[in-house]
Amino acid sequence: MKTVIETKNLARVFGAGETRVTALDHVSITVKQGEFTAITGPSGSGKTTLLQLIGGLDEPDSGDVLLSGANIAQMSGAKLSDFRRDHIGFIFQSYNLIPVLSAEENIEYIMLLQGVPEKARKSRVREMLALVGLEGLGDRRPSNLSGGQQQRVAVARAMASKPDIILADEPTANLDSATGIALLEVMRDLNQQMNMTFVFSTHDYKIMDRADRLIHLEDGVVQLDEFRNS
Amino acid sequence: MLIFKLAIRNILRQRRRSVLTGLSMAGGYMLFVFSISLLEGSWSNVVDIFTLDQTGHVQIHKDDYAKRPKIYKTIADNAAVETLLNGHSEVSGWAPRAYSPALAYGGDKTSVAQIMGIDVTLEPTVTRIKQKVSEGTYFDDQPDADGYFKAMIGRGLANKLNLAVNDEIVLISAGADGSIANDVFVISAIVGNAASFDRFGVFLPLAVAQEFLAIGGDVHEYALLSRDKHDNERLAKDLQAVLPMLKVSPWQEIEATFYRTMQSDKQGNYFTMGLIVFIVFIGVLNTVLMSVLERTKEFGVLKSIGCRPSELVKLIFIETVMLATASILVGLVLIVPVIMWFTEVGLKLDLAVDMGGVVFDTMKGDFSAYVILMPMGFMLATAAVISLPPGLRAARILPREAMGSH
Ligand SMILES: Nc1ncnc2c1ncn2[C@@H]1O[C@H](COP(=O)(O)OP(=O)(O)O)[C@@H](O)[C@H]1O
Ligand SMILES: [Mg+2]
Repeated sequence: MKTVIETKNLARVFGAGETRVTALDHVSITVKQGEFTAITGPSGSGKTTLLQLIGGLDEPDSGDVLLSGANIAQMSGAKLSDFRRDHIGFIFQSYNLIPVLSAEENIEYIMLLQGVPEKARKSRVREMLALVGLEGLGDRRPSNLSGGQQQRVAVARAMASKPDIILADEPTANLDSATGIALLEVMRDLNQQMNMTFVFSTHDYKIMDRADRLIHLEDGVVQLDEFRNS
Repeated sequence: MLIFKLAIRNILRQRRRSVLTGLSMAGGYMLFVFSISLLEGSWSNVVDIFTLDQTGHVQIHKDDYAKRPKIYKTIADNAAVETLLNGHSEVSGWAPRAYSPALAYGGDKTSVAQIMGIDVTLEPTVTRIKQKVSEGTYFDDQPDADGYFKAMIGRGLANKLNLAVNDEIVLISAGADGSIANDVFVISAIVGNAASFDRFGVFLPLAVAQEFLAIGGDVHEYALLSRDKHDNERLAKDLQAVLPMLKVSPWQEIEATFYRTMQSDKQGNYFTMGLIVFIVFIGVLNTVLMSVLERTKEFGVLKSIGCRPSELVKLIFIETVMLATASILVGLVLIVPVIMWFTEVGLKLDLAVDMGGVVFDTMKGDFSAYVILMPMGFMLATAAVISLPPGLRAARILPREAMGSH
C-alpha cells in the first residue's frame, strides 16, 4: 500500500522560558493508505498538535510532513489552502458545521471551493448523505440536528472532497458513548468500503478498540505504535 | 450561488443589528440624495434665471469683446454665423445684439444708459424679454405715424428720468465712425424692475441701433440656447472649432465669478455630505468587524477545510456590499417621491427673492440620474472599501482556531 503520511522528526514547542512546553518531540510516523489509526494519550500529550501539523493547520518548529509525497511544511497561503481542500478531510470535536447552511449545503460548499460542477455536486451530496445514514435530513440546519447527526454531516463533508486522508480530533468526545460508537462504525465502514485512510485521536477505550493501529503519545513522545488484528 | 446564499443568511443572522446598520446606510443615502437634489435644483434654477434673462447658454463675440467691449469690435460675417446657428441641431434659439453706452435725456433730466439693440423676433427665442415687460407693450421695429422708432427702457431709467410709456426719450452716443449719434425715440414699454441688470437699459430694434451706432449690418454679440443646457460647454467648443475667427464662450466664462462661487458652494456641500457618509460608514465598519470577530471559529473552520484567504475577503465583501445595496434600495424607494415632489412642485419660500424682475419664490429639487446614481455609486464604493479591513482580518484567522481552543 502506498504511503499517505510521513512525518520526520516533527517538533513543536509552545511558549518560552518558564512557560515553555514541548508539545511534540521528534515524532516520526508513517501512515499507509487504508489504515484506520487511533492516536491516544492523556490530555496534553500532543494529540491535537500532531493532527494539526499533519493537516497543515500549524507549522512545526522543525521536521517535515509529507502528505502524498508533498512537503506541506514548506507550503503557505493559497497553495496550502488548496492542498488542504483537495487532499485532507477534517472532522472536529465540536462538529463545526456552518450554522447558516443546511446539511446538504455544508457538504456542497467544499466542492464549490473545488470548482466541482453543480450537477456533480448535487449527486455527490446525495451519495454522501446516504453513506452516513442521513437520507432525508439534508435540508436541516445544524441546529435542527442532534450531535451525532451533526458529526455525521461533518464526516460526509470531509469525504465529499475525495481527500487522501481524513483527520479527526476526538470526534466522539462530545457524544454519548452509544452515539460515539455508532459514529465510529460509520467511519469504519467508509474505511473498509472506500479504502479511506483515517487518523483520529481519542482517549476512550471503546473507541480505541475499533482501530487497526494505536499510536500512543505521552508528553509529545511516541511511547507505543502497534498494529492490532481486527 | 451558494456564496450569495451564505452571505444573505449571515446578514440575516443578527437580524436586528443588520436592520439598524441598514437603516443608518439608508438614512445616509436619503440625506445625500435629498441635499444633492436641492443643491443642484437651486443652482440650476439660478443659472436658468440669468441665462434666460440675458446671457443665454453660449455667446459669440469678436475678439475679447466680452471682457473689453469696444464699439468697433463687431462681428461682420453675420451670414456665415447665422447659417451655422440655424443649421445646428444642438442650438435651440439664437439672437444677435448690438451695444453701446449712451446719454439719455427725458425732459430736463439726464442719465447714463446702455443701448441694447435686439432683434425683435429672435430675442424672445433666447430670453424672457417679453415676460419682463411691466408696462406698455413689447415693441416692434416699425416707426410710428410721426416717424419715431420705439424703445423699451429699464425701470431705473424710467424712474430717474421720470418717464412713462408713450413719452419721448433722447439718446446721445458716439457712432463707430466717430460721428455724434443722437435721436428721439418713443417709449413703448418699461421692462423689469429697479433691481434688474438692465434697469438702465434702452432696448432698440436691432436695425435701428445699427444705424444709430453706424456699424452697418454688424453686431456685437450672438447669444444662444443649447438644447441640452448641461451640455453647453461642449456646444461652445464645437462652435469655436468652426468659428476660429471669433470667440465662443459658454456662460461659465461670461459669468466666471458667479461660476466660481457656485462651484465652491457645491464643493463645500459635497464635502459635508462626504463627511456624513464617512461617519455612517465608521459605524458600518464597526459592525462588520464585530461580525467577523464573532465568527472567528467559523472562519477558522472554513480555512481548515480549504477556503483560501481571498475567499473569506470575498465573502465579507459580498455581505457588506449586499447589505449596502439593500439599504440603498430601501432609501431609494423612500426618497424618490420626496425629490419628485420637490422637482415638480417645490417648496414655496416665505420670502420670495426677486432676481432682477424674475421672481425666485420656490425651492426646487433636481430629479436626474445623477442625483440618484452619484450617491449610490459613492456609497457602494465606500461599502466595498470598508469591507476590506474586516475581510483581511477574517483572512488572517488561523485555521487551528477551529480545533479545541487553548
Ligand atoms: N496554542 C498553544 N499555546 C500554548 N500551549 C499549547 C498550545 N497548543 C497546545 N499547547 C500545549 O501543548 C501541549 C499539547 O497540547 P495538545 O496537543 O492540545 O494535547 P492533547 O490534544 O493531547 O490534549 C499541552 O501542554 C498544551 O498545553
Ligand atoms: Mg486535544
